[in-house]
Amino acid sequence: MKPILQIKNISKTYDHFQAVKNLSFDVPEAVCFGLLGPNGAGKTTLMKMIYGKCKRDCLPETSVQVLGYDPAFHSFEIKALSGIVPQEDNLDTELNVLQNLMIYSKFYNIPKKEALQRINELLHFMELEDRKKSKIRSLSGGMKRRLTIARSLLNRPKILILDEPTTGLDPQVRHLIWNKLRELKRQGVTILLTTHYMEEAYQICDEILIMDKGEKIVQGNPEELLKNNIEKFVLEIFDKNIQLPSEANDFRLDTTQKDMLYVYSSSFETLQKLETSLKGQKHYLRQSNLEDLFLKATGRTLNESQ
Amino acid sequence: MKASKNLLYPSVFKRILFVAYRHFRVYSRHFISNALPPFFEPLIFLVGIGLGVGKYIASLQGGTYIEFLASGLIVSSAMFTASFECTYGTFIRLEFDKVYDGILSAPISPANLILGEILWAGAMKGFFFSFAVLVILLSFGIFNHFLVLLTPFIGSLTGLLFSSFALFITSFVKNINYYNFFFTGFLSPMFFLSGIFFPIKDLPFGLVILSDIMPLSHLVRLARSLCFQDINYFLWTDLFYVLGFILLFTILAIRNLSKRLID
Repeated sequence: MKPILQIKNISKTYDHFQAVKNLSFDVPEAVCFGLLGPNGAGKTTLMKMIYGKCKRDCLPETSVQVLGYDPAFHSFEIKALSGIVPQEDNLDTELNVLQNLMIYSKFYNIPKKEALQRINELLHFMELEDRKKSKIRSLSGGMKRRLTIARSLLNRPKILILDEPTTGLDPQVRHLIWNKLRELKRQGVTILLTTHYMEEAYQICDEILIMDKGEKIVQGNPEELLKNNIEKFVLEIFDKNIQLPSEANDFRLDTTQKDMLYVYSSSFETLQKLETSLKGQKHYLRQSNLEDLFLKATGRTLNESQ
Repeated sequence: MKASKNLLYPSVFKRILFVAYRHFRVYSRHFISNALPPFFEPLIFLVGIGLGVGKYIASLQGGTYIEFLASGLIVSSAMFTASFECTYGTFIRLEFDKVYDGILSAPISPANLILGEILWAGAMKGFFFSFAVLVILLSFGIFNHFLVLLTPFIGSLTGLLFSSFALFITSFVKNINYYNFFFTGFLSPMFFLSGIFFPIKDLPFGLVILSDIMPLSHLVRLARSLCFQDINYFLWTDLFYVLGFILLFTILAIRNLSKRLID
């Protein structure tokens, strides 16, 4: 089956700075694809190039197909068939919930009667039905986000593009949004999202792409990536100068953090043994997760654009 | 495919109209605070300057001073509303409220958006603000003929002109405070040098030329000719100047501001 989104060798250069460097990936239908990376990695730029808010570099090797359309020439078709949830909420704060959605239904050429019906459906779906007449100012951050998502669904998009959909939200709202995104995926919507939350990527993404400084670092299914790229367990020791017993050697040390020592190993026993040799140092033995992989891939220290 | 494609997104006219409609809805939410001042402002001018100064001037260009001033105010109120809307208003929508990010993620292009701004701030608000002045003038019996009813259309032209010009300015503005230069350095001097408060023809030659170069004086002449029922062929030059100016700066605004809307 042809992928919904096909990106080959895309690049973006601002004056003297290359935000996205020769990136390629495909997204199949009804899949949730996550773009991960530190701040300034080029995730938002990449998203914007997909729906034509940002012009990609004009290079012969580049090709972009979104639902069969190239955003450089057919951004209307792409925008008509997709829903976009930007990083910052941009609701019309002077209008109420219903009016916000009514204005946008016009942008998508939805007849009034049909729009009202669709709005009721969406407010119910995002659990905002009792907020229909509320002013935007009176909504909480989580409600605003849900409303922005509802707005992006007005045109029954085939592809939903979300830029950090749950940043700054409380756990309840975050879980609610995850559930809704899973449900949309079941309905056949392809989802493309950026996130900083490894938990989020693990929970809802079928495939993730970790990027850093505009380049692709790794791509794949989150569970497989974990299995293939990082040891299964990690012992965090809150003291970097500790002397570890030399007889054990099936572990890897990460000393890049200032005051912390990370000991990675695929053997739980090894780490348990190490644990017993610690004399009162604060430590934490756990399963490694996507965050460890992320930090391994993009480095633990800050770079200049973060 | 073709048939269903038409339903995907609105036609170009609708797209422009819906952007203007969005602004209208937001504007009319605060109806009292937004719709009353346009009626009071000309009143203040007419009482403050018209009655005060007018007492010392017997007649000007065949009418009373109040008639002279009133015919200019029809235009200046449209100028100020369009200029404010497309400087501070546009900047806030662009940089602070991120309204355009939302609109542009729907099937609307930067050019549609910019034309929607001009349609709203220029044609619609310009018309409304001139109309408000006209209502005051008619209710005080300052004018009482048919031709004066056409002046709100001159208000629309004024709005189109200044909104396109203000959007062109906005395309360069990185900091909202820079608009002070535009208002103090350009609009205020023009306001006083365009024949609204006194005839320009008796000013020093340099200033007469300057006044003729600036667009407002042409609009004032058009509005005044309607108010004074003095239609003549020279008005064609004024009209062509105005239409040319609108066309030029609409194109420039679309060209320059689009670059800011698309990274």
